[in-house]
Amino acid sequence: MNDQQLIKLLNKLAESYFLLAPQKLDDNLLPGYEYGIREVKNLEEIDWSGAMPYGSWKEVLLPYHERLFDIQKGRLVETKTKYPPIACLAMNILDLKALTLFEQVFANDLYYQKRRRPMLIVGYSTGLPSDYKKYKVFSHNYEENVLEHVIFDIFVSRQKNGRLKFYSGSEKGQLTLDQAGLTDYNNIEFAGPVAESGPDKTLLSIMAKMEKSANKKIWDELDKRCLACGKCVIACPTCFCFDLEDRDNSAEQSRSRRWGVCFYNDFSLVADGRKELDTVKKKIFFWYYHKLVRIPKQYSLPGCVGCGRCIKACPVGININETIKAL
Amino acid sequence: MFNIYQTQSAKIISVDFESVDTKLLRLKFLDRTRQREFDFLPGQFVQIGLPGWGECPISLASSSTQAKNYFELAIRGVGKLTNRLLELEKGDLVEVRGPYGNGFDVDLFKDKPLLLIGGGCGFVPLRPLINDYLAGQMSNTVLQIFYGCQNEENLLFKKEYHLWNRRAELNVILEKPSSKWAGQKGLITDLLKNWKITADSVAVIVGPPVMYRFVISELKKKKVQEENIYLSLERRMYCGLGVCQHCAIGPYYVCQDGPVFRWADIKGIGGVI
Ligand SMILES: Cc1cc2nc3c(=O)[nH]c(=O)nc-3n(C[C@H](O)[C@H](O)[C@H](O)COP(=O)(O)OP(=O)(O)OC[C@H]3O[C@@H](n4cnc5c(N)ncnc54)[C@H](O)[C@@H]3O)c2cc1C
Ligand code: SF4
Ligand code: SF4
Ligand code: FES
Repeated sequence: MNDQQLIKLLNKLAESYFLLAPQKLDDNLLPGYEYGIREVKNLEEIDWSGAMPYGSWKEVLLPYHERLFDIQKGRLVETKTKYPPIACLAMNILDLKALTLFEQVFANDLYYQKRRRPMLIVGYSTGLPSDYKKYKVFSHNYEENVLEHVIFDIFVSRQKNGRLKFYSGSEKGQLTLDQAGLTDYNNIEFAGPVAESGPDKTLLSIMAKMEKSANKKIWDELDKRCLACGKCVIACPTCFCFDLEDRDNSAEQSRSRRWGVCFYNDFSLVADGRKELDTVKKKIFFWYYHKLVRIPKQYSLPGCVGCGRCIKACPVGININETIKAL
Repeated sequence: MFNIYQTQSAKIISVDFESVDTKLLRLKFLDRTRQREFDFLPGQFVQIGLPGWGECPISLASSSTQAKNYFELAIRGVGKLTNRLLELEKGDLVEVRGPYGNGFDVDLFKDKPLLLIGGGCGFVPLRPLINDYLAGQMSNTVLQIFYGCQNEENLLFKKEYHLWNRRAELNVILEKPSSKWAGQKGLITDLLKNWKITADSVAVIVGPPVMYRFVISELKKKKVQEENIYLSLERRMYCGLGVCQHCAIGPYYVCQDGPVFRWADIKGIGGVI
């Protein structure tokens, strides 16, 4: 085992970053809910098992509620926020894919960019997790070129022999590894989010099916089952819809951004009371259409990274894998 | 880095009553360079707002040939923000970002008879097209305007009809006019039914969604091609930049790929009109 090197790295990071990592919260929680992303108080608390944390990194990258402007004397003044240096530790490959999508979606977003700049991303993989099949929506081939197409600063991979292998994915990552005294690492040059051979074939075939699916009976079935509660949206690391919201009262004078939920009635409501999405069927179709068609078209990337969080979150057991099969 | 949500202050330089519930605001950016560099296409819109009251999309209503000097917005009071905007007076400031959207690609209309078909307050985005046509910016052989409205009180831009009539044909029809009304009475489709429309015409439709269905079927009876039917859609919007998803229809964003669409391109998407 060369975990000593990892500890050296973490100790170095702790000097200048707040550390966030997946942690086991409580053995008594329902299956699937035991792991969450929390601030690391003690390095032992970090979970390196590769289990999918229930909460996602979205909460760190795109806070639920974010102040964009202060209102001063009736004018909008850009809110000056101090963005802390955060090291996001043990992000798994699927979450790195979600991050890579966010980097595209918010490429021109000042607030996202300012928040991201002082962050350090440390990816981690245990190889294929034992329950990996469960998470599989799109084909992920870990060995082949995956790391070239996801964003990270440092990546740590546990080999079959139990040893750790270190990679840098950015200059910042290299510098950090050097400063921590780790010399035995490889550099991976980011080759853009999409593979040279073009977008994933499975992705394209699912997109084509989804585009032609409007009359499939799966939507009538989901119309009856789905509660439109929006828990899947909250849990999903790639859902990024948002609202802008003004507050001007004695306690708060601001324009801010907060997560939007496409299942809620006001999402598409216009002033005369009409709604584009006026049935549960249209809402859930809209949700899948965004993930399986709009995002792939716009960014050539999957809108679903196959993390399975929405499946765990759904109170009535709606499963994106089964929906995709039924298309 | 440029902040895509940063608005700029614009001063109201005049306010005109247009109809019972609509006012025409003429605006000028406080920053002179911003105004000088301001440019838009007919059919594009801005996000206009007041800090504390939010923002909303409003179509540019003036001629793009005047964009360097000022721009106009015709605003109907329907809710929290729009009603507040109508309380403002000359000299007051509003916050604006944009222009957004694709606008009308007038090159596609070139050298063809052009029909502008507007219903109710949806008529607004047609005004820049009319003004640009009158200013000699467009090469269409004929410009015919069809405007359907509830009653005289709701008609927009009344003061300009005599100008429009000089070079274009304006046909107004009212659904529930007063007894004084000497013009036509009925729905916009009644107007189209009895009109000679050539099959090579380009039609632009803006109005409430119910109108679209009937007008399109009427145009198809007249053999107007689906590729030559354009419409402008209204959806809820926040970002205006193809990110927040509120305005998405099928694979498109109304804020970015629209609000102007070719009927042939969107007719397959369920529930668009
Ligand atoms: C491309 C486009 C062009 C438009 N052009 C004009 C125009 O030229 N003149 C005009 O009077 N109106 C126009 N509208 C409609 C105008 O945007 C709405 O009437 C306005 O948003 C209502 O806001 P409110 O706060 O007064 O109403 P409320 O009902 O109080 O609205 C509350 C919130 O709902 C949202 N909302 C409600 N209705 C709409 C809507 N139709 N579109 C987008 N968001 C909405 C807004 O975010 C608003 O903050 C246009 C809409 C679009 C999409
Ligand atoms: S599996 Fe569900 S939660 Fe995970 S990325 Fe896909 S849609 Fe989102
Ligand atoms: S969590 Fe399940 S029930 Fe709730 S909105 Fe999502 S799919 Fe529907
Ligand atoms: S208004 Fe945000 S995507 Fe169109």
